[in-house]
Amino acid sequence: MTDKPSRMQALYAWLDERLGLSTIYKVVLDRKVPKVNWWYTLGSATLFLFTMQVITGIFLTVYYVPTPDHAYDSVNYIMQDVSFGWLVRGIHHWGASFMVLFVFLHMLRVFYMGAYKYPRELTWVIGVLLFVLTLGMGFTGYLLPWNQRAYWATTVGTQIAGTPPIIGPWITRILRGGEEISALTLSRFFSLHIWMIPALMALLIAVHLYLVIRIGISNPPSKDE
Amino acid sequence: MNEELKKKYWERYLRLKHKGVKFYPDVVYKDLVVSFALFLLLVGLAAFVGVKPEPPVDPNDTSYIPRPEWYFLFLFEFLKFIPGELEWVGATVIPGLAILVLLLLPFLDKNPHRHWSKRKVGTGVMTAIVLAMVGLTIRAVVTTPPQEEGPVALSLPEQIALGQELYSIHCAECHGPDGEGGEIQGVEGLEGVVLKPINSQDEMYTRSDQTLYNIIAYGQQDLGMPPFGRAYGGELGPAEIKAIVTFMRYTWDDRVELPAEAQGGGMPTLGPDEVPSYEEHVEPLVKRYCVSCHRPGKKNNNYLMTSYDEVMHSGDHAPVIIPGDPDNSILIQLIQRHELDFSRPMPPTKALPDDVVDIFVRWVAAGAPQTAAEADQIEAQQGGGAAPATPQP
Repeated sequence: MTDKPSRMQALYAWLDERLGLSTIYKVVLDRKVPKVNWWYTLGSATLFLFTMQVITGIFLTVYYVPTPDHAYDSVNYIMQDVSFGWLVRGIHHWGASFMVLFVFLHMLRVFYMGAYKYPRELTWVIGVLLFVLTLGMGFTGYLLPWNQRAYWATTVGTQIAGTPPIIGPWITRILRGGEEISALTLSRFFSLHIWMIPALMALLIAVHLYLVIRIGISNPPSKDE
Repeated sequence: MNEELKKKYWERYLRLKHKGVKFYPDVVYKDLVVSFALFLLLVGLAAFVGVKPEPPVDPNDTSYIPRPEWYFLFLFEFLKFIPGELEWVGATVIPGLAILVLLLLPFLDKNPHRHWSKRKVGTGVMTAIVLAMVGLTIRAVVTTPPQEEGPVALSLPEQIALGQELYSIHCAECHGPDGEGGEIQGVEGLEGVVLKPINSQDEMYTRSDQTLYNIIAYGQQDLGMPPFGRAYGGELGPAEIKAIVTFMRYTWDDRVELPAEAQGGGMPTLGPDEVPSYEEHVEPLVKRYCVSCHRPGKKNNNYLMTSYDEVMHSGDHAPVIIPGDPDNSILIQLIQRHELDFSRPMPPTKALPDDVVDIFVRWVAAGAPQTAAEADQIEAQQGGGAAPATPQP
């Protein structure tokens, strides 16, 4: 007579029957991949940074107020008075720089290894879109602390975006929500920064990862290939 | 890519995959190591480097040098090489085309080879672009002058201390060092005007922080108070005006409790046998009671008090301080309310409290030391028995 399955095993079997856990394990984790080197960790490191930005960002919205009257003081409050607020903001601040850096390095890795070629063209295209959106996160997030650096960088940034003839002034007005940087600019950037761009990014990351798993990790190319 | 090449690719890939490793644990292990290292790095940066404090927005401060986030610096620098009328090409068309080429790269690049040595043009161009970006970023960092910034007061005690200092410089000459008001003396154009106190319950209970802010920024121009806000032609930015309001509120409003760290209003305390020094004891008093008039651009017989050197050596009747001889020092004579032929007693409106005068007298008598270390040395000599202060039995 065989051992009766333990309670844990029974629970797992019950969940597996409904969720297909062992299929997920087989497809996602227990798959074979070509031998790869440390450069291949740049993608997962970027995903880790994105996750950190999401988590710390969500905590920051608890106290952050996106209005000209309160934005600066609320950030100051997070840094001075909220327990571990300095840590959450510090990670979000530095994580933003690292995110841009790692997306870029990941892209270079894929470029130099020719991994954007057949059959991974779509993975690359989505990756470039994610790169542009990451820069958008950097640009919109920079304004939110509402300090001198933020205000003047955004003034110049939106001005540069408005340099093309004919449509230029229109672009600047759209970005600023008016002629000048104001409460409307701040609420626009806030909404872009915490909802619109991250939601789009999460969607694209999901497709990106699906493609990576479906097609498989590219192999480091050799000369005769 | 034709069907035959595709087939060859898959054959090769499946062979390598078969000879390869399991995603879990081999690849996952590497990923976790790198992610964990990054996590430690981020926590370390947040804890030991932190986020540089910046002053709040001031749209009227045109001296501010705009700087974008570091990863946009290369573009900023690149634009400097483009003539003004073509700026829009460099700012939008070129980056836009670069992104477009990146997006379409797999379809533009028909070369079937993957190894870099067989794609020398592509990898060469990319390397050149990356090096140019790095070079432009470095150039931008090196050529951008550092931003001149005043101190940024973040915590409440810091803000109160900054407000106290700014109040003493900009407000005290008319409103008095403690907001007590009275008759204005020695201020051009306002001589003899009598001001009501601004530290009273009436004032504090009926004026909100925003009202106080507006009064300081815009002034009360019909009543003779000039605007202090930069937006109206004054010298102060929003952060500075806010600090003054915070100082007033926490010092004079009896409904608000002064935080323990800010108790004493930044005023020095002096032990009975301690030798005062300029930096520790005298400077805070000078800032509070004297500097509002004794700074450049005011009527003060050219006696300036913004640094130790000025306090010791400047003025039409210099020296104002004779180290070791308080009785013959003009500064001491004036704060002890003696009338001299070239000056009335100082400060003009109200005598200094006795304990404040006492600190000045003891400081000059001890030789007017600048640093606390010098004062300690003098104290040690005095206590060392060279000149016994008290008769021995």
